[in-house]
Amino acid sequence: MAFIDRQARNFLLLELLGGMWLTFRYLFKPKATLNYPNEKGPISPRFRGEHALRRYPNGEERCIACKLCEAICPAQAITIEAEPRDDGSRRTTRYDIDMTKCIYCGMCQEACPVDAIVEGPNFEYATETREELFYNKEKLLQNGDRWEAQLAANIAADAPYR
Amino acid sequence: MDGGFWGGYVWPGIIIILQIIAIIVPLIVAVAYLTYAERKVLGAMQLRQGPMVVGPWGLLQPIADGIKMIGKETIIPSGANRVVFMIAPMLTFLLSLVAWAVIPFDYGLVLADINVGILYLFAISSLGVYGIIMAGWASNSKYAFLGAMRSAAQMVSYEVSIGFVIITVLICVGSLNLTDIVMAQEGLWFAIPLFPMFVVFFISALAETNRSPFDLPEGESEITGGFMVEYSSMTYALFFLGEYANMILMSGMTTILFLGGWLPPFDFAPFTWIPGPIWFALKVAVLLFIFIWVRGTMPRFRYDQLMRLGWKIFLPFSLIWVVLTAGAVVAFDWLPN
Amino acid sequence: MPKLTIDGIEIEVEKGTSVLQACEQLGIEIPRFCFHDRLSVPANCRMCLVEMERSPKPIASCAMPAGDGMVIHTNSDVVHKARKGVMEFLLINHPLDCPICDQGGECDLQDQAMAYGFDRSRFAENKRAVKEKYLGPLIKTFMTRCIHCTRCIRFADEIAGVPELGATGRSEHMEIGTYIEKAITTELSGNMIDICPVGALTSKPYAFSARPWELKRTETIDVMDAVGSNIRVDSRGGEVMRTLPRLHEAINEEWISDKTRFAYDGLRRQRLDRPYVRRDGKLEQATWPEAFGAIAEAMEGLEGSAMAAIAGDLCDVEAMYALKGLMASVGSPNIDCRQDGAKLQPDVRASYLFNTGIAGIEEADAILIVGSNPRWEAAMVNARIRKRWLQGGLKVGVIGPQVDLTYRYDYLGAGPDTLKALADGSIEFAETLKSAKKPMLILGQGALTRDDGGQVLAATRAVADGFGMVKDGWNGFNVLHTAAARVGGLDIGFVPGEGGRDVAGILAGAGEGAIKLVWLLGADEIDSSALSNAFVIYQGHHGDRGAHAADVILPGAAYPEKNGTYVNTEGRVQHAKMAVFPPGDAREDWTILRAFSQQIGKALPFDDLHQLRRKLAEDHPVFAEIDRLHPAEWQPFGNDGEMGSAVFASPIETFYMTDPISRASITMAKCLDEIEGRAAAE
Repeated sequence: MAFIDRQARNFLLLELLGGMWLTFRYLFKPKATLNYPNEKGPISPRFRGEHALRRYPNGEERCIACKLCEAICPAQAITIEAEPRDDGSRRTTRYDIDMTKCIYCGMCQEACPVDAIVEGPNFEYATETREELFYNKEKLLQNGDRWEAQLAANIAADAPYR
Repeated sequence: MDGGFWGGYVWPGIIIILQIIAIIVPLIVAVAYLTYAERKVLGAMQLRQGPMVVGPWGLLQPIADGIKMIGKETIIPSGANRVVFMIAPMLTFLLSLVAWAVIPFDYGLVLADINVGILYLFAISSLGVYGIIMAGWASNSKYAFLGAMRSAAQMVSYEVSIGFVIITVLICVGSLNLTDIVMAQEGLWFAIPLFPMFVVFFISALAETNRSPFDLPEGESEITGGFMVEYSSMTYALFFLGEYANMILMSGMTTILFLGGWLPPFDFAPFTWIPGPIWFALKVAVLLFIFIWVRGTMPRFRYDQLMRLGWKIFLPFSLIWVVLTAGAVVAFDWLPN
Repeated sequence: MPKLTIDGIEIEVEKGTSVLQACEQLGIEIPRFCFHDRLSVPANCRMCLVEMERSPKPIASCAMPAGDGMVIHTNSDVVHKARKGVMEFLLINHPLDCPICDQGGECDLQDQAMAYGFDRSRFAENKRAVKEKYLGPLIKTFMTRCIHCTRCIRFADEIAGVPELGATGRSEHMEIGTYIEKAITTELSGNMIDICPVGALTSKPYAFSARPWELKRTETIDVMDAVGSNIRVDSRGGEVMRTLPRLHEAINEEWISDKTRFAYDGLRRQRLDRPYVRRDGKLEQATWPEAFGAIAEAMEGLEGSAMAAIAGDLCDVEAMYALKGLMASVGSPNIDCRQDGAKLQPDVRASYLFNTGIAGIEEADAILIVGSNPRWEAAMVNARIRKRWLQGGLKVGVIGPQVDLTYRYDYLGAGPDTLKALADGSIEFAETLKSAKKPMLILGQGALTRDDGGQVLAATRAVADGFGMVKDGWNGFNVLHTAAARVGGLDIGFVPGEGGRDVAGILAGAGEGAIKLVWLLGADEIDSSALSNAFVIYQGHHGDRGAHAADVILPGAAYPEKNGTYVNTEGRVQHAKMAVFPPGDAREDWTILRAFSQQIGKALPFDDLHQLRRKLAEDHPVFAEIDRLHPAEWQPFGNDGEMGSAVFASPIETFYMTDPISRASITMAKCLDEIEGRAAAE
């Protein structure tokens, strides 16, 4: 009986038809597609996107040139030079991130003792030339100013787990 | 001839050319939208949307693709045989169009109503392998050559069973003329009495057109595109067009041999109100959908499985059916006149 | 010889060894902040607590002398708890500002807090804040970070000999400082930065500029004076970021002078980074072939005797050797390495060496200093004399300039007359020298660069012989040099050959037209205006005095930019290593000379540094051995005749600016203003 059953299944191509039926049902299921530039998926507060240098609310830049991010960066994408500022405080004269080297591991923001360097929620910063991806301090501070509201919210959201 | 030069040669010539254009243009458009349909259907089966940016619902996508293809650079590999390399895609495309000369879209609506139409079709579809072998050889690339070899063996294998399937049908019709074949199905399509042959023919058609699950000659994941690996731009587009035109042709053949061509499914109103060419197109469309559907479902065969299926299952199976059919026709005296 | 047990291991140590040192001999690390090998023991940080059996509480191992039968545990629960507790107390008032602290990454407190500390603080009250103190242009202070180990106070008192630092207030109100705001007036102040275990004292010129982990360390030799201090040059990306001392017990122990430490910023300024050729009275930038072409043209048709070469004070032996070879190949006997005209001859090596060695000072029991201010000429030698003086039983007599040497001495007189009187025995100090077991004489360049230098040399030799300074295993005749290149130059005989002119002769010859071409190898301390008639080639690294007079300038390498050999005043051969590349088109000096010799078809017989050094060692066996001292043979030297009567003067006018590098240094200029200026004003 089992033999006949198996042969019948073989000759009637039941398995093939089963497969076909499955794909046919999928034809009418709702689509999972996200219409990307018009719709966007949710982003975690821990999302590691484009870098930014933050400021304190009074406008003073946070970065104190401790160079911990430079030291920890596994891709050696960060270059910092520092000297005493006119008021004697320790500040960077140069803070460069080579975004083409960066692997977006987030170690820099882990290492930062003052939450100055952060990886923000922005991931749409494609450029036309390679040079535009060599970020300098000015560009990073600009990013910080632009995304500050969201950056602060993200840090606050993640604070209980740190 | 009577009618002199103008009436005897020029006007008939112009009329034939116009008829050819009337077949080819819709065919090319159909090919273009077949690619669109394939992407849409496959997308839907994979819970995607498919093309949807160019034009409403992405309807202009095939045109955009066509423009892109034309705009690209034709690259000829330095080690290639240039003449053969260029002829191969032309041949493939040409053969896929030439076959349409004998396809009847309605009673009498056929370019060349020759009495050996089915033989002609069989011959043309067999020649298709030359384009592929030429392409694979002329590319001077091991992937292309592997693809061509696979293609040749595959086509030869499946043509055998296709031949027997056709013989079965011919036994039932008693004519090699395609119109006669269709007309013989008035009342009962051959798909019903010869259902196993219909299935064998359709699967062999998949193999004949290098479609999934028999797309080993292309085999993107193993031989990176097979015989087409070195082609680009319009030469690639010609292969592409030829292949899809072949799909439509095979669907047309299946329709004519098994699904009653342009005949409506039931011989009464409202079915008879719809004109024959529409029925023909509808049946072809359903078959094409199945082509795509199969691609969306089946993984690719291994090459030995492909050969085993062709030679050890389809060949004996169709042979037995030829004998069975012939025996039944003779025994019950159903021989056509 | 007490015998004690530490962690189950028995060890016998010298009497007077502390428990901490005994542990160290066993390789057991005891954490400490206040204890320092070369300073007195205050035992106030309490970090070195260890457990001693039959003691009710842990003991401070640094202050506890090892006793017979002691049983010490350094790894018990009691010790761990004690360390943790002490560390927590230390951190109560220490700010958590490691990210902005320059000590971060090389901080004793940081390391020990990681190793022995507790990972959080229970201290919730306000931390103490202390105002910054001003300690001069070299030391940056951040007194809130101070943990009151008092190492800096003890260093100033004991090593530097300037008791200017102290602690005011008690307990939480204790502050380290100078009480009245003033710069520390010692030439050793930089060492306080090194010994400070936290970031309270950091380097001002280096402030915030780099982190220890991004620096490339190169162990090399200092050339700011003739001591040959062992230093470590820290560089980053082709720039020298700082200079630190390296331990060498026989030379600089673990200290260096401020000039050695802080003059490195002079390496970035006024550099010659490409060849120049004078055209129509103006120096214009040129390529190497153009510069060589100009020299070759000027040399054409010149007699050997019309050419001359002078080597400067910072030259490596390789460059001088190459220049000597070059001048010999063109037939010129006019070469000299004694820019200041010191009357020293290379014939008797003992006549120009610091024969006892610097470490030998510690054995001496009477020192006669003639014509020298060792505090400025060789700060490390002076520190060694002070160290010996502090141990007691040392008498020092000075003939020459009367200055503060940081230790008490008998001032005998100012000039040759006193020397004569001493030789006669008519001065009281003669008795001291006579009765001393190991008397020593230090002869400075101030007594040798005079016209009667040769006679002074002979007279001091007579004094050395007369007072028994030269005997078996002890040669107390010491010449103190000021130029790093001098001993090396004398060792390879970079002095006028048969019928050759010395520096004075060359300058005179250039004035009257007998000398037509002069090659200055980093020679900046001569009167270059006298060379205006001659064709002058200046090969060196700074656009200093010599370069102004030049017709062709060849850019050379400064000391951290080349692999060079230097011989210090003791006659110790040491190798300096390349830390960074010379700027621009500049090259290592010997390679320039080698390339030029090829240009004029008289290629020098070596192609690389290895060949050169082998050749050098063949010609002058002294160079075969690195960092070794061998007693030099004692033979007659000096010139006969009467000494003049002019008083001895120190050859150094200002400690902070003695050579092209320190003259180009901004830090040194600031020191000159603030420290020497202030010191002079007081």
